[in-house]
Amino acid sequence: MSQVKCNHCHLSFDEEIMIKEGDLNFCCKGCQGVYHILQDDGLNSFYDKLGNKTISPPLNLVDDDISKFDTKSFMKNYVHTTKEGFNEVDLIIEGIHCAACVWLNEKILHDTEGLVDANINFTTNKAKVIWDGDELKLSDIILRIRAIGYNAYAYDSSIADEKATKAKREYFIKMMVAVIASMNIMMLSVAKYTGFFTGITPEVMHMIHIGEFLLSTPVLFYSGWVFYKGAYYGLKNRILNMDFLVSSGATLTYIYSLFILFGAKGESYFDSVAMIITFVLVGKYLEVIGKKSAVDTLDKIKSSLPLEATIIDGENKKQVALNNINIGDIVEIKTGEKVPVDGMIIKGEGAFDEASLTGESIPIFKKRGDTVYSGTVNSNNLIQFVVTKDFKNSTFSSIVTLLEDSLNSKPKIQDTANEVSKGFTVTILTLSILTFLVWYFFGLDLGFDYDGTSHFEKSFIVAISVIVIACPCALALATPIASLIGISELAKKGLLFKEAKFIESLAKANTVVFDKTGTLTKGELSVVKANILKDTSDNLNLLYSLLGSSTHPISKSLKKYLESKYDLKAKELFDITNIDARGMSAIFKDANENEFKLIGGNLDLIEDENIKHNLNPQNSVYVFAINNEVIATFELIDEVKDYAFDLVKYLQSNKIDVVMLTGDNENVASTIANELNIKTYYSSQTPISKADFINKLKEKDKIVIMVGDGVNDSIALSNADVAIAMGTSADISMEVSDIVLLNSSLTSLKDAFTISKRTYKFIKQNLGISLLYNLITIPFAMFGYVIPLVAALSMSLSSLIVVLNSLRIKMK
Amino acid sequence: MIDDTLFFMLIVGIIISAALLLIFVWAAKTGQFDDSNKLIDGMLFDSPEDLNDAIKQEKKKEEAKKAKVLKMKKKEVSQKND
Repeated sequence: MSQVKCNHCHLSFDEEIMIKEGDLNFCCKGCQGVYHILQDDGLNSFYDKLGNKTISPPLNLVDDDISKFDTKSFMKNYVHTTKEGFNEVDLIIEGIHCAACVWLNEKILHDTEGLVDANINFTTNKAKVIWDGDELKLSDIILRIRAIGYNAYAYDSSIADEKATKAKREYFIKMMVAVIASMNIMMLSVAKYTGFFTGITPEVMHMIHIGEFLLSTPVLFYSGWVFYKGAYYGLKNRILNMDFLVSSGATLTYIYSLFILFGAKGESYFDSVAMIITFVLVGKYLEVIGKKSAVDTLDKIKSSLPLEATIIDGENKKQVALNNINIGDIVEIKTGEKVPVDGMIIKGEGAFDEASLTGESIPIFKKRGDTVYSGTVNSNNLIQFVVTKDFKNSTFSSIVTLLEDSLNSKPKIQDTANEVSKGFTVTILTLSILTFLVWYFFGLDLGFDYDGTSHFEKSFIVAISVIVIACPCALALATPIASLIGISELAKKGLLFKEAKFIESLAKANTVVFDKTGTLTKGELSVVKANILKDTSDNLNLLYSLLGSSTHPISKSLKKYLESKYDLKAKELFDITNIDARGMSAIFKDANENEFKLIGGNLDLIEDENIKHNLNPQNSVYVFAINNEVIATFELIDEVKDYAFDLVKYLQSNKIDVVMLTGDNENVASTIANELNIKTYYSSQTPISKADFINKLKEKDKIVIMVGDGVNDSIALSNADVAIAMGTSADISMEVSDIVLLNSSLTSLKDAFTISKRTYKFIKQNLGISLLYNLITIPFAMFGYVIPLVAALSMSLSSLIVVLNSLRIKMK
Repeated sequence: MIDDTLFFMLIVGIIISAALLLIFVWAAKTGQFDDSNKLIDGMLFDSPEDLNDAIKQEKKKEEAKKAKVLKMKKKEVSQKND
């Protein structure tokens, strides 16, 4: 059958199912509706802008919640008044795929009477909308967005968001100033260094120095201000950090170069000043971007909770903002709604999807007296519960608060360059001061002839030359170059390292904590045992039809299994009933109107129906019966990922402790742990208990790596020394992680350890080389024998050796 | 002579760069670089029609602000009279 493109969303479907309208084809009513709205509003240039790109068909939204946008509590929580007296709200627009979507939404909003301004950020999907409250209601704005197939949620633009945006802007400007200035300095340097060999007049050389001075000054004092700040706070806390090394090295090199510029003999190094500041600043900027996008994701997560809840007050029901719900109130939630606050069920029973909290893929059945947690989804039935914790102290809010805190103070182990810099800085500064004292007070006068300079100046230049020759190049390059090559090697294996310093942490780690579902196991159930007692195609067709009516993970996996094995056709079923946490039942009528009762589900359901069986399964089981006779039984497990066993063995052989944490029950946990030979494992873990476990390990001075994938792992991930997320993880897990396994393969994880260890070895070698270089050159500098050409060559040579040595990481 | 020309070029170059840098800093501070993806695709949306729309929107914003100020003043006057 031929495939036809939908005229709105550009997705291809079978011609048979398309809605035809002359030459036009639409995949659904939604696409057809939006297409006509855009034509009527003269916005058909949207399709030119969209080009060949595809978008999702419009969301099928029910507008019965639209009045909540105009309620007083909503206005109080989310709408601010601008200084001109307009209303302003921050929205997250759902369904944006490309720049054309942004254009369309902005255009439709700008064309709305009463709307003053709308600005949508494509990267974050956040929008700032300003409107005149006297002319327009917020609900009308939301309806306009919904009419063209998108949806909008309000979010509370947090202080963290404002701070992150401001920091990102500030660092961006600083970085760009540094980059532009450094590029220009490099051009001047090419002329300068060529002049060493081809000859250059002192006047032209002086001019180049002036140009370099003018360009490097803003780099050091404007862009590099963050390092002065970092060094100041470091000193306040009595730590000589990397910022101190960078700022002191760059400042002293700058001062030395100033002496040269204003007449002293020697070579200026303004280019080194600019390059060091620029390189380190680019790294810092990437860190700031990471933090900003984590804040954006957190805002999206926060906006997924409802804004209000239905409270039962005697005979009446009323909508109350989440912050105003009190302990003891009775809350009602319908099917598909999220639980807004923690509570205890007093009426109704049903299955709750707790995947967002525990990672448990199978919904959990809860009845009267059981606790429900905020953030989980009520899969079926109307439930009433009494509130046991207010909004701020409920599970979901606690997780969000913890994540916010962890983003601001992520503990990390110190990197080697920092440790080395401490000792190195002190040593070099001491040697420099000693040199000055010896030269000045003992009248030392060696080396080259500095015509026309006083003895004080001569002593000072020699003392500074000790710092200049020692400080910037080799040591500053030793770690970054090796890390860069290591990171590119890791990227080839599908490993994304957000910062280079995690190479070292990974190489030094002594404990690895794994989440189970989705990390060590595939996260989807697969059939390990199928026992079909009455194998007729009709029976299997009926089972297939029954499975098709359920969205339960077991039903879905089993359906997939049957599709891969048999050629099946769905039959029409009647009276399909979902039996909570047990399974399903339905009626089938054959051609003669004979009725057959179909039942499919777990052992509890079979026993409830008094169907005889002699099953004693070790895993999750699904039984299918027709008219109380068992037709087929299946056993399913969450299979262990390929290579998981080898990875655990590799880690254990490298004396790294392996721990498994899971939200699943003891049976499932022990089966997987035994299969993988993991001796330490903990079952029934909550997100907070996982994070506590990580903290306890760290208190014992362990260097902890956490590997996880779900929202439920995100706090633990953010507390670990190094957090590794699977490429298929929830957004927030990837944001708080330091390393992302793009292909989610465990072989890549082993590569992460081997390449990191190898890179770390080379980092140490490089540091050794640069220290050796300093051991040789510093004595020369101390005795005043650093002539310009030797300085220029030795600086380049030491850097070259470090670069060539680092390239050996690529060799196997 | 050559030195003078070089010096002149150096100064002119630095002045032009500084001016461009100032424009860049202004653009970044007013949030024009906040959305990297929108910026990259920006050139796809600068047809005469799009630019006219942008000007129209700016005018609409200004007029709305003026109208609001007038309305607020009227409101204040009527409140005083009451």
